[in-house]
Amino acid sequence: MESLSDTRWDVVISGTGLRHSLLALALSRSNKKILHVDENDYYGGPEAAFSLQEVDEWVEELGKAPTSTLFRNASIWKSEEETSTDSPTLSFSRAYTLTLSPQIIYTKSKLLSRLVSSKVYRQLEFQAVGNWWIYNAEEAVLKRLPNGREDIFQDKNIDNRAKRNLMKFLKFVVDYENQTDVWEAQSESGLDIFLSSKFNFPAHLQIVITALTLSLAPPSETSVKWALPRIARHLTSIGLFGPGFGAVVPKWGGGAEISQVACRAGAVGGGVYVLGTGIENVKVVEAEDTESPAFHLALSNGEAVGTKLYVHEATDKDNGGITTVSKAISIISSSVPSLFRSTVEGSPLAAVSVVVFPPMSLQIADGIQSDPVYIMVHSSETGECPAGQSVLYSTTKSSSLSKIVLQAALESLMNRVPNQGKLLYTLYYEQTAPSGSPLDLSFDDQLLEQVEAQWREVMAEKANEESFMQFEERKGMEAEEEDDNDY
Amino acid sequence: MASDESLPTLKILMIGPSGSGKSALLIRYCDNQFDNESSTATIGVDFKLKRLSVHGQPYRLNLLDTAGQERFRTLSTSYYRGAAGIILVYDISSRESFNSMERWFEECESNMMEGAKMYLVGGKLDKVQGAGGEAKRKVSEEEGRRLAERWGTVGFMECSAKTGEGVKAAFAECVEGIVKDGGLVAAGGRGRGTVSVAGAEEVDSGCAC
Repeated sequence: MESLSDTRWDVVISGTGLRHSLLALALSRSNKKILHVDENDYYGGPEAAFSLQEVDEWVEELGKAPTSTLFRNASIWKSEEETSTDSPTLSFSRAYTLTLSPQIIYTKSKLLSRLVSSKVYRQLEFQAVGNWWIYNAEEAVLKRLPNGREDIFQDKNIDNRAKRNLMKFLKFVVDYENQTDVWEAQSESGLDIFLSSKFNFPAHLQIVITALTLSLAPPSETSVKWALPRIARHLTSIGLFGPGFGAVVPKWGGGAEISQVACRAGAVGGGVYVLGTGIENVKVVEAEDTESPAFHLALSNGEAVGTKLYVHEATDKDNGGITTVSKAISIISSSVPSLFRSTVEGSPLAAVSVVVFPPMSLQIADGIQSDPVYIMVHSSETGECPAGQSVLYSTTKSSSLSKIVLQAALESLMNRVPNQGKLLYTLYYEQTAPSGSPLDLSFDDQLLEQVEAQWREVMAEKANEESFMQFEERKGMEAEEEDDNDY
Repeated sequence: MASDESLPTLKILMIGPSGSGKSALLIRYCDNQFDNESSTATIGVDFKLKRLSVHGQPYRLNLLDTAGQERFRTLSTSYYRGAAGIILVYDISSRESFNSMERWFEECESNMMEGAKMYLVGGKLDKVQGAGGEAKRKVSEEEGRRLAERWGTVGFMECSAKTGEGVKAAFAECVEGIVKDGGLVAAGGRGRGTVSVAGAEEVDSGCAC
């Protein structure tokens, strides 16, 4: 077999996380010789998805090398096997696909239009993120988050004066870019002060509106200039691809699935894929001409390769903003249908529901819950668990209490739904953001901008002739009369 | 072609070691061609479509090649999604190729959907035919058959992409095995919660995996 060293590579990409997989997709029609490697023996890097057994291996690996990764303090809890046969238990390992990237993708996100224009959306199945719920501590119930004007009109929990203010705010926020006079002076202030001073919002409405931003901080620490575009995005995304939802999630593990499909597109374009192989040593060499390699890379499998360009994963840690979150992935033995029931006519069956626990809504022994908790509830429609079960992805800002806070949120959620079933499994871990890609519960289009910038760098002057991720349909499937020379 | 859209679609994968002739089989089956020179994976071919009738019922086959990702065994789990059938291919003139099949079956079993069917093909039959050919045979037909039986495939066939011998029969047998018990025949192939993100752009002309 031809060895990797025999090829003069144009680009070596290290890491198959979402960002670099999308880069491989963007370069898949460039005719460049691309070697794409990953030190892990699975696709997806920090956005990977695992079977239960793979989670075990991942946790064990993290335990061995706690400083070298963005993940830490991972631990698994499993319910005790019970002897009675009718008691619910975990299914086999591969019946589950637990994802490290359950991010929701707003229908307005450019990611969707890029996946469409690059044609790989055909290999993906998207499912609706339906209901949003917020936990009301006073009444100890989950309430639907109003998803738009109609919802607000019908909501009996909001009095008429508040309704008027809310409508006024919604009208403003979808046009916030043109109404800078309203908010610019307060752009750095907390959302709570802005909402109460400009729109007379009572505290509970401030919390509702902040929840729509998916902010991991309380309203007082969520800045106006950060929040407004996100609220606008939320509201303008609803109904874009159908009634009753404004965000989607790819089936089978969210970002993990996108990265695999993107890598296949890279392979179809001629890219070579090697997993379980990292870059051990990088030597920058003085290139004799533009056709000579500028990097000599030593691969962990012992091979040495030369390449004109080398794209590697940024793992240096960011020091600004919220950089570490605590996450729990839980499996419960219930399909919690009440969370997925839609009130909007003609809406698709949702596979994901969002449940928000605002700050201070949970009872915590020896402390207070200062930050919100978000739980993304995935039904078995996502393909991530067997029918009759659900996977719950909980996130909160890391603190000494965050593990207890996540546990409390999970218990609270399970106690507020009928037929809540039994908790079967929880994977707990903490995740730190690499610089340039802040942890976000929704896909951040900034990542796509980074991919485009890297694509421009690789393509050099050719980037001006082509459009980013704009591809023709592959014609390989047509009859022999078809002319394939276009590619 | 437009009427094909409504046909039940079967996603079928080709897997097996590098150089076993997966792409050649696919090209012979779909385009009735054989390229003697080409030995490397076909770049730019994502999938091929083929219409096939079994007992009067037409199906649309969506045939996927490995795109070279078998070379370092880096096929992704997403490759297996929605596949109703998997055709495993080895080269009957290579012992090494046959010996690696155990691992391919294992990977296949652990990734394929419940109810998907496997089919085993021993390729490059032409190589062992003609004068002095039998000496080039490194795997007997009996061995192939036994392997297929042990893994419970819906069939086994030796064939040649070069001469075309056995190729049509192998694909037809595989499809018959898939549809016999209802199998994973997906008309459109999408779950009930699937939403379209393509907006007005979507004209479903391609893969419906």
